[in-house]
Amino acid sequence: MSNRELYDIALTVNDQEVKGRVKAETTLLDFLRDNNFYEVKKGCDKGDCGACTVIMDGKSTLSCITSVLQAQGSKIYTVKSLGTWDKLHSLQQAFVDYEAVQCGFCTPGMLMTAKALLEKNDHPSREEIREAISGNLCRCTGYKKIVDAIEAVSKGVRK
Amino acid sequence: MSSFKFYKPDNMEDLLKVKEELGGRALILAGGTNLLIYIKEGSIREGTLVDIKSLKELKGISGDNGYIEIGAGVTIAEILESPLLNDRVPFFTDTLKNFANPLVRNMASLGGNIADASPIGDTIPSLLVLNGRIKAACLKGERSVPLDRLFKGPGESNLKPDEVIRTVQFSIPERGKGTFIKLGLRNGTSCSVTSVAVWLAAEDGRVEDIRIAFGGVAPIPLRLKKTESLFKGEKLDEEKIRALSGEIDKEISPITDVRGSAEYRKQVSVRLLSRAVRICMGMEE
Amino acid sequence: MKENFSIIGKRLGGLDEKDKVLGNVVFADDFVMPGMLYARVFRAEKASAKIKCLDILRAQSLPGVICVLTADDVPHNESVKNVVGQTTEVGLLEAKHQVLVKERVRYWGEAIALVAAESPDTACRALELIEVEYEDLPAVFDPLEAMKPDAPKIHGDNNIIASWKLRKGDAEAGFAQADVIVENTYRTPRQEHAHIEPESGVSWMDDMGVINIRYAAQVIEHYRDIATVLGIPESRVRVIGTLIGGGFGGKEDVTVEVFLALLTWKTGRPVKLTYTREEMGYGRHKRHPYVLKYKTGATKDGKLTALEAELVSDAGAYVYLSPWVLVYSTVHSTGPYFIPNVKVDASSVLTNNIMSSACRGFGGMQVAFAYESQMDELAEKLGMDPLELRKKNFLKRGDITASYQEITSEVLLEEAARKAKAALGEKGRGSKTKKIGHGFACSWQSYGRMTYLHDTSSCWVNLEMDGSAVVRTGIPDLGGGQRESVRAITAEVLGLKLEEVHVISTDSQVTPLSGTVTATRALYMSGNAAKLASENVRKIIVEEASEMLSAEPERLNLKDKTVYSVDEPSKLLPLVDVIKRCAAEGKVPQNLATFKAPFTEPITTDIIKDPVFPDFTFGAQAAEVEVDLETGKVNILKWAAAHDVGQAINLNRVEGQIEGGAVQGIGFGIMEDYLEEEGVPLTWNLHDYIIPTSKDVPDIMSIVLQSKSGKGPFGAKGIGEPSISAAAPAIVNAIKDAVGIRIYHIPATPERIFLALQE
Repeated sequence: MSNRELYDIALTVNDQEVKGRVKAETTLLDFLRDNNFYEVKKGCDKGDCGACTVIMDGKSTLSCITSVLQAQGSKIYTVKSLGTWDKLHSLQQAFVDYEAVQCGFCTPGMLMTAKALLEKNDHPSREEIREAISGNLCRCTGYKKIVDAIEAVSKGVRK
Repeated sequence: MSSFKFYKPDNMEDLLKVKEELGGRALILAGGTNLLIYIKEGSIREGTLVDIKSLKELKGISGDNGYIEIGAGVTIAEILESPLLNDRVPFFTDTLKNFANPLVRNMASLGGNIADASPIGDTIPSLLVLNGRIKAACLKGERSVPLDRLFKGPGESNLKPDEVIRTVQFSIPERGKGTFIKLGLRNGTSCSVTSVAVWLAAEDGRVEDIRIAFGGVAPIPLRLKKTESLFKGEKLDEEKIRALSGEIDKEISPITDVRGSAEYRKQVSVRLLSRAVRICMGMEE
Repeated sequence: MKENFSIIGKRLGGLDEKDKVLGNVVFADDFVMPGMLYARVFRAEKASAKIKCLDILRAQSLPGVICVLTADDVPHNESVKNVVGQTTEVGLLEAKHQVLVKERVRYWGEAIALVAAESPDTACRALELIEVEYEDLPAVFDPLEAMKPDAPKIHGDNNIIASWKLRKGDAEAGFAQADVIVENTYRTPRQEHAHIEPESGVSWMDDMGVINIRYAAQVIEHYRDIATVLGIPESRVRVIGTLIGGGFGGKEDVTVEVFLALLTWKTGRPVKLTYTREEMGYGRHKRHPYVLKYKTGATKDGKLTALEAELVSDAGAYVYLSPWVLVYSTVHSTGPYFIPNVKVDASSVLTNNIMSSACRGFGGMQVAFAYESQMDELAEKLGMDPLELRKKNFLKRGDITASYQEITSEVLLEEAARKAKAALGEKGRGSKTKKIGHGFACSWQSYGRMTYLHDTSSCWVNLEMDGSAVVRTGIPDLGGGQRESVRAITAEVLGLKLEEVHVISTDSQVTPLSGTVTATRALYMSGNAAKLASENVRKIIVEEASEMLSAEPERLNLKDKTVYSVDEPSKLLPLVDVIKRCAAEGKVPQNLATFKAPFTEPITTDIIKDPVFPDFTFGAQAAEVEVDLETGKVNILKWAAAHDVGQAINLNRVEGQIEGGAVQGIGFGIMEDYLEEEGVPLTWNLHDYIIPTSKDVPDIMSIVLQSKSGKGPFGAKGIGEPSISAAAPAIVNAIKDAVGIRIYHIPATPERIFLALQE
C-alpha cells in the first residue's frame, strides 16, 4: 500500500458539486483553495484567526482545522454565496456602508460568522455580536464598525 | 515525512474494532481542533484518522434523577445550547461560555477536550468537582473511570490504546452551588493561566461539603482534596476563606510558561479560590 | 478650492470595499500561474552560530525539487542600503543584511536556503532533508549588555549602530530651576505586526526578459533591491503590488520578493512563496523594544523646565531601519511639549534577537509611553490636574521644538484631550475587588518621511472621451484605503462620481512611482500628487470651456459631468463636449504631476538641530479601565480617541484608522509581547502571541477634529500612525488612577500588575 493513500471526496460548495481526491489529513481550507475558492483565506492555518471561516451544514466552521473528509457530502457556503456586485447581501452592503472593511482579509470569514449568527439569533445585542465574532481576528478596524454593521442588519437599518 | 490514513467507522462496534486493531495509531478525529493542529505541527506524524464525528452512539445528552450523561462526541456548542443542561446544571454550561470561541465551540467535542488531557482543558475542573466519570469502551467491554484518576501528565491519560471515551457522566449534587473562574490573558479565545471550579454546600455559613479543582497548576487538572478537607465543617467569613485558600500551596506545583510564572500562578490561584468560595457562599456576585 | 465639498469629508463606501465584501480581491496568495513552483525557506535554528557544514544534496535529489539555493547562488548576497543622515562617528553606516546566510547565523530564523518544488508538499519535505552543522558562537540578547565594550560583536566592532541626540538649552540648569523632578526607567515590548494576511507573492519571467513579482508590498520600490541582489538592471525587475491584507510596517522591509526573484531567475519558472504564520513570527522583523530613562523637571506652577532622557533600542541582529526609527524616537521624545532645556541621548544596539524595524508608530510610540507617564507622575507630585499641567506646556503653532523645527500647523491638543476625557462620562463605581480608573494621554507623531530623504510622489490623471477619469498612481494600499483616497480626491476636483474614476495602482513599470505606503505619508504625498494632477487636468478643461462659453476660466466649475458658470449656472456645457473639442485641438486632458515634500540637507552631526519632518499630527486618547485586585487583570471599559486630522477625506476611513490604531495600541499596552528566550522565539503563532479580540475592547469613540491646517490635500494631516501612540500611556495612567500603582514595563499584563499590587 502506498503511504500516500488518496481518498475520494465529494461535497457541495455554494450549491455546486465539487469532487476530488485528497489525503487523509487534507483540510477543508486547502481543498477549497485548491479548487479555486480563493475567497476563503488562510491567515494562520491553526484555527487561531478565523479568516478561513465558512458555513458548513449551517454552522460557522474553521475550515483550516476541519478535515475535508469529514465534510464528505456536506453543504459548504463561502462569502461568494452571499451577493453579487449588482445586488450585495444585506450584510455585505452594511459592511461597505459602515466601513467595516479595511484591508478586507478577515472580511470573508467575518461575514460568514455574522451570517451564521443572524440565522440563529436575528436580534443579537452588541455584546452577543462581540461574542460571536470573537474567533475572527481583525487587526485593522478595532471591531466597532464591524459590530455596527452587523447590528444595523439585525435591526433592518440601512445607512 | 508524515503519512496518514482515513477511516470512518459505521458504528460503535466498528470503531472499537479499529481501536483494537490499531491501538494508539488510530487517531480519534472528532472536531479536529486539536488533532489537526498536532498533525500540522508535526508532533503526530503517522496513523489513521478515525472519524467519529457523526457516530450516533457518541451523541446525545440525557438526564434523569439528577444523573447526567453526555456523549463524548457532543460539541461544546451543543452543550451550551442544551435546554436540559441549562436547566439542570447551569453551573456546567456557564463553565463553557468562555471555552475558546464560538467557532471552536461548534467543532470541539467534550470527549476530545478530555482525551487531550491538557492541564488546562477548560471542561475538566468543573467535571472534577461534579465527581465526573467517563465510560471508556473497548471491544471487551466498558469501564467507568473517575476523572480524577484519568490523567497521568500533560497529554497523557490512563486510557488504554484500544479504548475510546464513550460518554461523560456526573450526578448533580443535591445541594449547594458551583462556580468556575477562568483567568486568561485576554477575554476572547484564551488559554487559561489557571482556572478553578468549586462546588460548595453550606448551612448557616458552615461548609457541609466542598469540592475544589484547578486547571493550570499541575501537570494534570487537579482535585484538591486536602484543601477540601480543611474547609469542611468550617464556618466561613472572608478572612477564614483567605486563610484556608492559602493552603492550596501544599497541593499545587505550577510551572512557568509564556502565560505566567509559577509564582504568579501560585499566588493568583489562592485568590481565585477565595473568590470562587465567596461566590458560592453568596458573599459576592 | 471651493469650500463645499461634494465628496471630500463625507462617509464614502468605496469600490474596493465592495470587491472585498464580495471576496473578489485577488490577494497575493490567491494568484496562480501555470507551471508555478512552490517555494519554502530553510531557516536557522540557532541564534548565533557558524555554519560548519550545509548539506543540500538529499533535498536537491528529491523528485519534484527543482532547485535549492544557498548563499553561493546569490550574485550579490548583501543587500545594502545607505542610511542617509547618520554621521560617520558611530557604528555601522549601512543597513546591511545577507540575503541567505553565508557563514554566520545571527538570529534564530535567519534564512539559509531556498527550495522550489513542483508541489507545496514536496517543498516542505525538501526542507526536512537539508542538513546543517553548526558551531555555537558567543551571543548577546540584552541591548544594555550589548553596549558594553566586551560584549560579543554582532557585526564589525561596535554593536551601537546609531546614535542621535537632542541638545537644547542647559538641562542641568533646567533641573536646578525645577521644584519637582520625576525620574523613571520604562520598558516596552517587542510587538508583532500580526496582520492577518501572511507575506506572499508570485514571480515570473515575462516574454521581454523582465522578472515580475506580484506580492503584498508596502514599498514597490524594492524592485531596486531585487535588481541589486541579482546584478541586473533595475528596468528588468517589475513589482506589481497587490491590495495588502494588512501591513503596519511588516511588509515595509523586504520579505518574499528577493527570494522569489532569485528562484524565478534560476529556474525560469513562475514561483509562489507564502510565509507560514510561524515564519511570520521568526522570519520577519518586529517593533523595537526600548529601555527609556526619563528625568523630567517642572516648577511648582507646572512649567516644564528640563528633560533628560536616554533611549536604547534593541535593533536585533541586523540594522534594517533602526537608525531611522531612532530618529523618530529622538525627535518625538519630548512629547508635544515646549521644554526649554533638553538633553536626549538615543542609541540603537545590535543583539542576537530577531531584527527590529518598521512598525506602525515607528519609534514614536515607545517614547509616548514614557513622556506621558512622566507627565501624570509630575502632575501627581505637583498636586495638579494632569490636563492642567499639560495645558501649561503644550506646543503651540509657531513654537520651535527641541529638534529645532517650527510647528507650522494647528495644535489642537487641549481640545482633543478635553473632548476625549469628556466622552468617557462618569467614572463607573467598581466593587470591592474591581477598581475603576480614568486616564488619558496625548501624543504627537510626524507624517511624511524625513525631509532629508527628498520624498516625491507622482500621479497621472486623464479624462476619457465619456468623461470618466483614469488615475495611475504607484501608491500601495495596505488596507487603509490609500487608493480610495486618491479616487475621492480626483472625483472631487473633476466633479465626478466615485464610480466614474478608475484607479490603476501599484505597478512599478506601469504607474508613476508614488513612493512607499509608510510613514503616514500616503495621503499626504500621493493625495497631494493626485490633487495636483487632477487640478492640471481640470485646468485644461476649464480653459477650453472658457473659450466655448465665453466665460472667465476662474468662474467655471465642474460638476456632474458638466462645466458651468458659477455666476450664470444656465451657461453650461456637457463635459464630454469639452473633451471632444480638446481632442480635436490636440489638447489631451491628461497630466503627470509630481508632489515634492520639503527637502532638507542630510543631518551631518548626531545632534538633530534642523527640521526633519514635514509636519505633525496631534491627538489624545482617554480610557476607563477596571483592574481586578485579585488577579491583576485589566478590562478596558470605555475608550475615546480624539485626533486632529486636518481635513477628513473619507470620514468613515478616518474613524477606522483611529479605532484600529487605538486597539493596536491597547494590545501593545496590555497583552502583546513577542517573547524570546536566549534568542529562541516562544510566541510565534496567534495562539501564544495574543492580540485583542472583539471581546477585549469596547466601542472606540472616535472624535475627529479638523483644523484644515495640514500639509496634505485640502489641509489634511496623516492619521495612520498617530492613532496608536497615546493608547498605552492612557491605560497605564488609568491603572494608576484605579489602584494607585504605576506600571513602568509594558505590556501591563495581569502578572505585572498583580506583582506591583503586592509591593
